[in-house]
Amino acid sequence: MSTFTLHDLTLARGKGSFVLGPIDLRLEAGARTALVGPSGSGKTTLLRLLAGLERPDRGRIALDDETWSDGPRLVLPPAARRVGFVFQDGALWPHMTALEHLRFVDPRATRADAEALLNRVGLAGFGKRRPDTFSGGERQRLALARALAGHPQVLLLDEPLHSVDVHLRDELSLLIRGVAIERGLGLVVVTHDRRDAFALATEIVVLHGGRVIEAGAATTLASAPRTAFTAAFLGAATCIPVIATHNGHVESPFGSLPVQGQKEGLVLALLPDDVRVVARDRAPTHGRILRVMPDGGELLASIQLGEHVVLARCPRADAPALRDGAEIGLALAGPPRLLSNRAATTHNESAANGDEHA
Amino acid sequence: MRLPLLSSIAFAVLFAGLPLLAVFAEALGGLGAFADILHTENDRAAFAASLELGVVATAIAVLCGGGHAWLTFRTDLPGARWLLPLGVLPLVIPPILLAMSLADLLPMKGFWPCAALIGVTTAPFVAVFAARGLRAVDGREYEAALLARGRGAAERLLLRTVAPEFAAGALLAFLFAVSEHGVPEFLTVKGKTWHTYAEVVFRLWSRRATGVTSADLASPIVASLPLLVLLALALFLALRLRARAGVQAAQPLPLRPLGGLRWPLLGAPLLYLGHGVLLPIVVMSRWAAGSTAAAPMSLATFRSSLARALSQAGSDLGHTLFIAVATTAVVLVVALPLARRAGRGRGFIDYVGVLPLAVPAVLLAIGVVQVFNSRLLNRVYTLGFDFYDSDACVVAAYAARFLPFAILTLSSAVRRIPQALDDAAVLSGRGPLARALRVHLPPLLPAAWSATCLVFVLALRELDLAVVLPAGNGTVVRRLSNVVHFGGEDVGGALALYLLLTALLVPVLGMILTGRRPTPIS
Repeated sequence: MSTFTLHDLTLARGKGSFVLGPIDLRLEAGARTALVGPSGSGKTTLLRLLAGLERPDRGRIALDDETWSDGPRLVLPPAARRVGFVFQDGALWPHMTALEHLRFVDPRATRADAEALLNRVGLAGFGKRRPDTFSGGERQRLALARALAGHPQVLLLDEPLHSVDVHLRDELSLLIRGVAIERGLGLVVVTHDRRDAFALATEIVVLHGGRVIEAGAATTLASAPRTAFTAAFLGAATCIPVIATHNGHVESPFGSLPVQGQKEGLVLALLPDDVRVVARDRAPTHGRILRVMPDGGELLASIQLGEHVVLARCPRADAPALRDGAEIGLALAGPPRLLSNRAATTHNESAANGDEHA
Repeated sequence: MRLPLLSSIAFAVLFAGLPLLAVFAEALGGLGAFADILHTENDRAAFAASLELGVVATAIAVLCGGGHAWLTFRTDLPGARWLLPLGVLPLVIPPILLAMSLADLLPMKGFWPCAALIGVTTAPFVAVFAARGLRAVDGREYEAALLARGRGAAERLLLRTVAPEFAAGALLAFLFAVSEHGVPEFLTVKGKTWHTYAEVVFRLWSRRATGVTSADLASPIVASLPLLVLLALALFLALRLRARAGVQAAQPLPLRPLGGLRWPLLGAPLLYLGHGVLLPIVVMSRWAAGSTAAAPMSLATFRSSLARALSQAGSDLGHTLFIAVATTAVVLVVALPLARRAGRGRGFIDYVGVLPLAVPAVLLAIGVVQVFNSRLLNRVYTLGFDFYDSDACVVAAYAARFLPFAILTLSSAVRRIPQALDDAAVLSGRGPLARALRVHLPPLLPAAWSATCLVFVLALRELDLAVVLPAGNGTVVRRLSNVVHFGGEDVGGALALYLLLTALLVPVLGMILTGRRPTPIS
């Protein structure tokens, strides 16, 4: 399988106002990868660097042995990279019909080819319409069709589900995954929404402040994050700082917890499945219920714990005890998840040890 | 850099950069003239008069143009949708024509009539910018202020928001008011007792022909330096203010009901348009009908004047039309690559590109003469094509002069188009020509159309360059300016009517061909 190699990739904008990198990363070109992180973390910039729409100040991008960018030099121009790009909000050409969009990108395509592609993305009969008559979802479908029309080897998608309502998200994410699988395309998706990341990708790269924090399989990062940032961002974890004591333990709201190795700069990450509601008299700590929401077959409770709000997934059977404002007992459901708070260097340190594979 | 951009830069350098360099090089050769800058009491008085005239004319322009934009965009005035774009119409009328018309009706003398005239002719700049500013205000911001603090506070907030655009339009109006010499000079003929600095510069230019020392030759150039500094400052400030304003609101401003004043206030835009457009048409029609002759006016005289104007100056009209069309075409071709570059991160092009506007037109004309009527080139001309005496020279000079309008209009439009649309075209793999014609150009067509109308009209009414360049002497405006000195109002009136009709030709044709109603230029 082909692999993207990003080595020492660095981009600065203005007088140090924004810096991406240095990034060292390997991405399977045929995999479905999500670049996730908060706004301003450099996700879109990284995607644009891959497409050749931005030039790095330093570093190299290569697909296997083929160099795409080497420093500020675009070795392979954007159009020669065979990437399909779905821009945020579509970036559709307002004066062209849907069919014209597709036939502009692929002038050799017959009308029937273009109509077949429109059918595939769920836009049958939309060929003669212009983008201003499309809904948000339809615009994204056309943007996807335009990206596919160029027969790409990789699809780069910048927040593809950003402008569609919650009902259409599932439909559109299934469509994107479906066309990627049936055409054997790799996907690199930028999103700030963990649900979209899990819906579209099997691999995840977490970015923060222009650096890669962590990268790995989506299921691994969600269930066993190595950093507090990833836990908070991907797992909706609440991270509570803990204080190291002299006996190989740290002090937390759940009492004294054993810790091995690093003791400073740790946080206790609490994913919704890490906390359980117990009887008050047996509980190491107490909290107050703020709100309870149904979550599939279970309940998700927001609980005030000291100055923090933690989420706890509870069985429906606990419903009678989970009233808004009720004082409840809380305990850890498993071994404590003590993570480093030094998020910014974690991935690059591990990459230096040859552990950068996403 | 690609060929179109290089060609545009070459054009701008050749027909704006080099001529301006040439005049300033000549000014340095006549250093003696520098000692004369604002040296005499008369010159200082003229400079002060120019400033005074500029300020008062600008205030009138803000009142007329800003008021027009405010009333027609912001309120439920009857017919506002149609009146708003018509705010630009007084630009079609050459200021000298308006002066001649008003002087025909009233005994025009002195500072105030002059300021009023120039104020009305420059009001379209304020109207256009003010409308642009109002269009860019998000109605939700106004509504938020309305709900929080009431109407007065909301209106004050709105005024503060659009103030940069109003100020940018006012500064442009000031720029044109200060550099206008035709109207004050015309009023001199009618017995004015004061002079503006633009007149001083123009008078020195007229004396250049008899000058013998290098200081004599350099005197109009050197004398124009204070004016140049003033104009450049106004232009720079206008561009800075314009750049701060937004472009398109997510939700338009709510209309303000005028209640019982709805119909009476309709008089304000009608008075402005009547004064700026209708009045010259009526007066020119009266002239054509024989109002200045001993015999009473008649339809027969009107017809005869129209026929005589065509037989005497039909070729001038065709010539003017040709120059205007050619200028417009050249300007668009040259401006497009520059505007695309300016709109995509090279904003300094806006500032460099507008330099020909900061320079009095006479100065640009002198520069064109210096460069293209040189001994060396005259020897080249003898081999075949005499560029200097040809229409091509006039077209190139006009194009250099009006290039800023097209660059500013088009670069604004480019900025409104998301960069992602260009990126998507790059990734399509299509060549530069296909991308230019199919992706870049179509969204720019409305702005290109605005620029076309503006440049076409300005080229039709250009007088300063026409006076200096040989082929420009055969234009209608040049002939009309002779009416001031040599009479012949009946044919002049008919000729002016033809000119105004021609000025409306492009916008009206555009409306017919595209089926679109007029939209305000921004």
